[in-house]
Amino acid sequence: MIQRQTSLAKNIVQFCRFLRQKNFVVGADEETTALQALMLIDHTSPAVFRSALKAVLSRSKQQAEEFDDLFEEYWKQLNKAVDTKTKDNHEKHPALKKQVSFKSLKTWLHGNRNNETEETATYSLQESLSQKDFSSVPEEEIDELMQTIRALAKRMAAKAGRRYKLSHEEDIPDLRQTLRRNMRRGGELLELAYRKPKQNRMKILLLCDVSKSMELYSAFLLQFMYSFQQVYSRIETFAFGTSLKRITPLLKEPNFRKALQLLQAETDDWSGGTRIGECLYELVIHHSKKILDSKTIVIILSDGWDKGNTRLLQQSMEFIHQKARKVIWLNPLAGYASYRPDAEGMQTAMPFIDVFAPVHNAESLKKLGRLL
Amino acid sequence: MLLSQGYISDDAIAMSVFLSLQLNKPLLVEGPAGVGKTEIAKVMANALHTDLIRLQCYEGLDATHALYEWNYQRQLLHIKMTEHSSQSVDEKEKTIFSDSFLMKRPLLQAITHHKRPVLLIDEIDRSDEEFESFLLEVLSDWQITIPEMGTIRATHIPQVILTGNRTRELSEALRRRCLYLYIDYPDFEKEYLIVKNKLPGVNERLAEQITRFMQQLRNIKLEKTPGLAETLDWATALSSLHIDHLDKAIVEQTLGVILKDWRDTREVQLSLSELMEKTGIISKLDKV
Repeated sequence: MIQRQTSLAKNIVQFCRFLRQKNFVVGADEETTALQALMLIDHTSPAVFRSALKAVLSRSKQQAEEFDDLFEEYWKQLNKAVDTKTKDNHEKHPALKKQVSFKSLKTWLHGNRNNETEETATYSLQESLSQKDFSSVPEEEIDELMQTIRALAKRMAAKAGRRYKLSHEEDIPDLRQTLRRNMRRGGELLELAYRKPKQNRMKILLLCDVSKSMELYSAFLLQFMYSFQQVYSRIETFAFGTSLKRITPLLKEPNFRKALQLLQAETDDWSGGTRIGECLYELVIHHSKKILDSKTIVIILSDGWDKGNTRLLQQSMEFIHQKARKVIWLNPLAGYASYRPDAEGMQTAMPFIDVFAPVHNAESLKKLGRLL
Repeated sequence: MLLSQGYISDDAIAMSVFLSLQLNKPLLVEGPAGVGKTEIAKVMANALHTDLIRLQCYEGLDATHALYEWNYQRQLLHIKMTEHSSQSVDEKEKTIFSDSFLMKRPLLQAITHHKRPVLLIDEIDRSDEEFESFLLEVLSDWQITIPEMGTIRATHIPQVILTGNRTRELSEALRRRCLYLYIDYPDFEKEYLIVKNKLPGVNERLAEQITRFMQQLRNIKLEKTPGLAETLDWATALSSLHIDHLDKAIVEQTLGVILKDWRDTREVQLSLSELMEKTGIISKLDKV
C-alpha cells in the first residue's frame, strides 16, 4: 500500500519495497547505496533522479528495461495517493482479489489434483502402464542396454574439468607442490609431485513421461530408467503423467523383476493424461533446490503431447534450463522421418532444450552417444 | 568526462560511470558484442590518468592465472646457486618465497598498484562459477592471502569494470555487488556522432550512408549482428579507399569487413538491393 511520504529517505525505502514486489532483489544494502547515490546528484531533475536509481537498483537487462515503466507507475500511484484521501478503500480491492486468486491457484495445485487426475483417467484411456502387466517387459535386453547407457553416462558425466588436482599417478608435474615439499630437504628435488585434470562429476536428473501416449514405449522406458539408475549412482529419477512421482528408491532394487513389481505397486495413481507443465512446475517448486544445479544434466523422456498448462510448462522449462548444466529431451516419436516437433508442449519447450534427439530403443540410444 | 576522451555516451552510461566512481562500486556492463563495453574501461583509465589492468576471462581460468604464481625456474636456480652457502634452510625458504620470486597476475597487480588503477575484468561470463565466487571474495575484501607470505591488503581499491555478453547468467551475489549497466546498439544519431567523432576526416555523406545501412542491417536476423566496432572498421576502410558514397558494388566488395559469418554474407547479398533501397542509397539513376 503506497502512502505519501514526506522525507526523501522514506520515499526511497517505499519505492524499494515496491520494486521488491515486482521481483527485484533489493535489500537494505541497495537502499543505502541508492540514498548515497542521491546525495551525489542533482535530484531536482527527474531524468537524472531516475537514471541514478536505475543504475543502482536494476541488476539485469530485463530489470533495466522494466525499470522506467515501474518508476512511472510508482509515481503515478503516489500522486493518486496524494489526490484522494479515500485511496485506501480503492486500493484494498485489488489486493484482496490477488489473494483470492492465489489461494484458488494453490488449492488447484494441491487439493484439486486428485479430482482432476481421476477425471482425466476416466476419459482418456482404456489401458495404461498402471494396468499393464509389467512381466511382459523383456529382461534379456537389459544387459545390453545397461552397457550402452554406461558408455553414454560416461560421455556425459565425465567431461574432464580444466582445473587440476594433485595426483599420485605420474602425469603432469606440479611445480608448486614439488618445490614446497622439497624445501624441507634444503631444496634438492627428491620427490616430484604430479597433477592431473580434476574431473567434474555430473549429476543426472531423469524425467520420464509415463502417460498414455508413451505407452508403446513403456517397456523400453522401464528398462531405460532401471538401467540408468543401476549404472550411474548420482541420478534422480522422476516419473510424470498427471502428477509427479520420485521413483529413485524403487529403481535401486538390484533385481529387475523385483524392481518392476515395486514399480507396479506404486504406479496405480499414474494415468493416461499428460500435464507436463504442472509436473515440471511441481519439480521446480518442491525439488529444484536440492537437485538442480550447474552440475546437473536434465534428461526428459517424453513425446511432448500435453493437455496441461503451456504457460507453466514454459516457465518451468525456462527455470530448469537456467539452473541446469544441460537439458536433453529424448523424444520417441522423433525417430520417424515425417515427425515434426509441433505438439504444443514440444513447441513451448523447444527454446529451452540443448539437445533434442530421437530415442525409442537400444539402437537409437547408441546413436545418441555419437551425438553428445 | 567521457566526451573529452572521445567516447560518445548517453545519460544511462554517464550516470552509471559517475556513480561507480563516486560510490566506489564495481560496474557490471552487459550488452551485445561490439558496442563499446571494453572501451568504457579504457576511456576511464585515460580520463583518470591511471593504468588499466586487464583480466581476460576464459573457461578454466583459475586462481594461478588471475592472482599470482611463483616463478619456479628462478626459485630453482636460486636454490642451486646458494647450495653451498651457510644459510639455514629457514633462511633459504624465506628468500625464495619473497616478493622478487612472485609473479603478479592481474588481480594481485591491481590491488598492489602504486596508484588507484582501473581493473577491467573482461567477459566474466566466460569463466566458470568457481572463479566467479572466488572473485566475489576478492571484490568484497580487497585482500589476497598467499600461504607462503601472508595476507596482502589493497593499497588502493581499484575501480572495477566487469563486462559480459550474457553467454551465461551471472550469479545474483555478484550482481548485487555491482552497479548494472546494459548497453544496446546505438540509435542513428548516436552512431553517426560516434563515426564522425572517431574518424574526423570522413566524408559526411559517406558517414551518414554507412550509419543508415548499419541501422537497417541490424534489423535483419543474422548469426552475428555487426556492432559499432564493425561500423568504424568499415568507415575506416571505405574512407581509406577514398570512396565518398556507397553503391551496390562497393558494398558487395567490402561486405567482409562487417559480416564475419558466411551464412550472413550470403543472406545479405541476396537481400542487398532491398536493403539499399530501404537505406535510400540507390538513386534513381542507378535503377535505370
